Amino acid sequence: MSGDDWLRKDRLPHIWCAGCGNGTVVNCTLAAVDEIGWQRANTVFVSGIGCSSRAPGYVLTDSLHTTHGRAIAFATGVKLADPSLNVVVITGDGDLAAIGGNHFIHACRRNIDLTVICMNNQIYGMTGGQGSPTTPMGKLSTTTPFGSVEPAFDLTELAKAAGANYVARWTGFHVKELTKAIFSGLSTKGLAFIEVLVQCPTNYGRRNKYRSVTDQIDYMKTHSVLKQKADRLREEGNELPEDTIILGEIVKRSLPAMGVRK
Amino acid sequence: MRLVIDEVRCKGCNLCTLVCPYRIFKPGTIANRKGILVPVTDRPERCTNCRLQKIYGRTLCGMCQMICPDQAINWVNEEVYEPHRVVVED
Repeated sequence: MSGDDWLRKDRLPHIWCAGCGNGTVVNCTLAAVDEIGWQRANTVFVSGIGCSSRAPGYVLTDSLHTTHGRAIAFATGVKLADPSLNVVVITGDGDLAAIGGNHFIHACRRNIDLTVICMNNQIYGMTGGQGSPTTPMGKLSTTTPFGSVEPAFDLTELAKAAGANYVARWTGFHVKELTKAIFSGLSTKGLAFIEVLVQCPTNYGRRNKYRSVTDQIDYMKTHSVLKQKADRLREEGNELPEDTIILGEIVKRSLPAMGVRK
Repeated sequence: MRLVIDEVRCKGCNLCTLVCPYRIFKPGTIANRKGILVPVTDRPERCTNCRLQKIYGRTLCGMCQMICPDQAINWVNEEVYEPHRVVVED
């Protein structure tokens, strides 16, 4: 891997379960950071609480492991204190969408120069599989034993509506595309939000008829549609199935950004 | 170059068996010391990276390495075999 020297090798093997997609996202992030050529001295990784937020602990640079949901709040402080730093926020769906939802939309509104990578495993993995705001309708978890009755959060639409400069969504299967998306997110001025759907075989897959890790990856592969194709199908008047995952670059624009040195 | 799976890091999730275009990785059958079924490699010399990485000077496919959540797949340099003369001590 091209970002191999960014890993804290003495901390490996990491604590994530067998087949957890978080490790894949770390690979892609480090490859993109290595490609863009940032130095260790002015790169900061910030995370909150959760499975995904263990990630900066495996990255050999300055990292902050902060309170639940407040990763973006801490990252805002870091960025505004020293705008020359490159700040990457790695966070999960429970961290970003549930408890840190308000911090997230206001960071999008202010358009701070951060890169937010959300590892969305659609469940609270670390605490034992409770339903999160992104659990799809009808899916089982320990707190929704008869299937979730609430509609799930669409994080990319939220970020787009709140005013983020770059929004993309990929899955844990599309590694090359994800690396490219993270690279363009890192090079965008203003808030870049990349949502990554990752598999959680232990707490999500086990309860939702994905017997093996590869089953859930297969599901993501077969049920995903590129945004351009989805738009075209909608224009032609075709209805997309409800469980379709729309992938790709959702929005890219250049609204005025905060925390960028003039 | 030679394709190796780090048995210390691998947790046996078999994601590499899904993505390899040459189907080099096969699900393992024998548990190692930690009880993990590490995938086995079937004729790894077919891998494009093993053959061409040095000529092109970059990683060519690398899907297995990117998707491996445990950072367990790597390519190592293989030294050219040199016959050694046996030195008999007097």
